[in-house]
Amino acid sequence: MGDAVRSGEKVVSVQNVFKEFRRDQNSIPVLRGINVELDACEYLALMGPSGSGKTTLLNLIAGLDRPTSGNVIVCGQNLGQTSEGDLARWRSRHIGFIFQLYNLIPVLTAYENVELPLTLTPLNRRERDEHVKAALQVVGLADRMDHYPRQLSGGQEQRVSIARAIATDPTLIVADEPTGDLDAKSASEILDLMQRLNTEFEKTIVMVTHDPAAAARARRTLHLEKGVLVNDVSSAR
Amino acid sequence: MKSLKYIWRNITRNRLRTVLTVLSVGFSLSLMTVLYGYMEAQESWGTEAAKYNRIVVMNIQGFFGQLPISSVEKIRNVDGVRAAVPYAWYGGTYQDKPMPFAQFATDASQAFQVWDEYKLPPEQLKAWQENRQGCVVDRRLAERWGWKIGDRIPLKGTSYQFDLDLQLSGIFDSPKNTDSLWFHWIYLDEGLQQMNAPVTGNAGTVFAKIESSDAIPGVIKVVDERFASSDNPTRSQTEAAFAQMFTDMLGNIQAYIRNIGLAVVFSLSLVAANAMAMSMRERVTEIAVLKAIGFSKGRVLGLILGESCLIAMLGGLFGVGVGCAFLQVLHIGIPQFFPFPIMEMIGPWTGAGLLVAAGIGLVSGLVPAVRAAQLSVIDGLRRVV
Ligand SMILES: Nc1ncnc2c1ncn2[C@@H]1O[C@H](COP(=O)(O)OP(=O)(O)OP(=O)(O)O)[C@@H](O)[C@H]1O
Ligand SMILES: [Mg+2]
Repeated sequence: MGDAVRSGEKVVSVQNVFKEFRRDQNSIPVLRGINVELDACEYLALMGPSGSGKTTLLNLIAGLDRPTSGNVIVCGQNLGQTSEGDLARWRSRHIGFIFQLYNLIPVLTAYENVELPLTLTPLNRRERDEHVKAALQVVGLADRMDHYPRQLSGGQEQRVSIARAIATDPTLIVADEPTGDLDAKSASEILDLMQRLNTEFEKTIVMVTHDPAAAARARRTLHLEKGVLVNDVSSAR
Repeated sequence: MKSLKYIWRNITRNRLRTVLTVLSVGFSLSLMTVLYGYMEAQESWGTEAAKYNRIVVMNIQGFFGQLPISSVEKIRNVDGVRAAVPYAWYGGTYQDKPMPFAQFATDASQAFQVWDEYKLPPEQLKAWQENRQGCVVDRRLAERWGWKIGDRIPLKGTSYQFDLDLQLSGIFDSPKNTDSLWFHWIYLDEGLQQMNAPVTGNAGTVFAKIESSDAIPGVIKVVDERFASSDNPTRSQTEAAFAQMFTDMLGNIQAYIRNIGLAVVFSLSLVAANAMAMSMRERVTEIAVLKAIGFSKGRVLGLILGESCLIAMLGGLFGVGVGCAFLQVLHIGIPQFFPFPIMEMIGPWTGAGLLVAAGIGLVSGLVPAVRAAQLSVIDGLRRVV
């Protein structure tokens, strides 16, 4: 965990953020004055209708994009003022990504997919091997590490992608509809796993979802509507 | 070398496309190899020829003009000329094979003085001189056909209506494979006379050995002046210039082929670029994911350029290999035009071929690589959602 977190600061601090996309002459306002703070070990579900700006907000928090105005401070870094190259390096250290369509590299085995983000770290081969095996152990796929993505079920692929997200031991995990493409049983397994990451491994998680059942697993739920946060529900778990 | 594995997997993900790209690059480079091999052969002939102080005298009209046999004696009498012989192309078939090797009608009394770098044992020279139907051959030629001294070598005339019934008198050694057989000019001419052939007494060309390289310009001047007012004015030149003439005859064609070669290389690098661009388009999301998890622009650029270069260099290896194999076939088939051993050239050519291939790889990978490096992660990820 980063130093900023240890000293009691917020992991995520979104301050009065506006985001517009420009298309030709028009600018489309997508986020309009967002304020959110997340403590360490929080698990936030972000809900809202399609087009309300959930992915846009998630991308800002993950350092994939920069706000039009306002501040996004994550793990002590003000992302709006960070160069693209530095952002890439920062993401590799602090963020784990889980996508709706898993987005594993088809030509790499489960093991190699999990190893991929580790190749950006100074770890040597043996240390990488330990990390990869530990991560695959957590998601219960140690026995499938030599399989290619096409040899795995959707749920298994998503578990590999979770292993990839946690291999570097990031502070924050962002997940954009991680169960959106799965059947109920696989979805429930994924949600169990994410809950474990939160409780057992103390990861801070932001998850976008359309599924109220998924949102119910989080500690806190936020609703976005037309670029504004409408209500903040902390579920008593 | 983690990324090399990834690059290799990407190369093998669409095998057909990779194979086609490798073949197209390989084809263009094998063409280049053969072309440059040919030009190399021409050049080495020229530089080799300059060492031996020989001149070639021929009719001013070129190969189709005649040079009476009496001119040989006149050339021998010029100051600075050490020896001179007629040298006429026969061009017969052997065992029904057209152009099996080079055959020249010459003069046994001075041939090994004109080509004094060729070695023939004295007793074999004597045997040749005393046998009207005798001939001598390059050792490599004798080995190729399995000839031994005393063997009969019948040749069928094609341009001449007169067949030769030759007997092997000697086997000579030369620095480079000449792929040649020499027989008596007089044997050919008497045969033609008996048949009342339209052209007799023709020396073809005359090769002369000059005392020193300094004497060459003077000798050339004197010879050409002496024949200037005769029925058959001459054009004399150094053997190197003579070799150059063959090159010049193909001169325009050579420039033409060279340009076509370059055009082929260029167009095939566009083909490779297109293939690369297509496989990148299929991988937009993947590249976006790489960038999301922290791959820098430079790393993405390197991955893609590495891939395009590796594909092109596989093509390069393949192309140089095929090209060298083809040159080797030419070397064995028509060694008088491709006298040098290909094996000596393979090293530098492979190096140069790989360099050109890497260039093709860079050119073909550049646009897709820059595009991928510039790809916006959120746009790339949005494509699937
Ligand atoms: N790169 C972009 N360029 C232009 N417009 C964009 C861009 N990204 C998002 N938008 C627009 O911003 C709005 C919000 O998009 P966003 O993807 O954040 O919605 P979302 O809440 O994630 O929707 P969904 O539930 O369908 O995923 C949409 O109207 C979308 O068209
Ligand atoms: Mg979305």
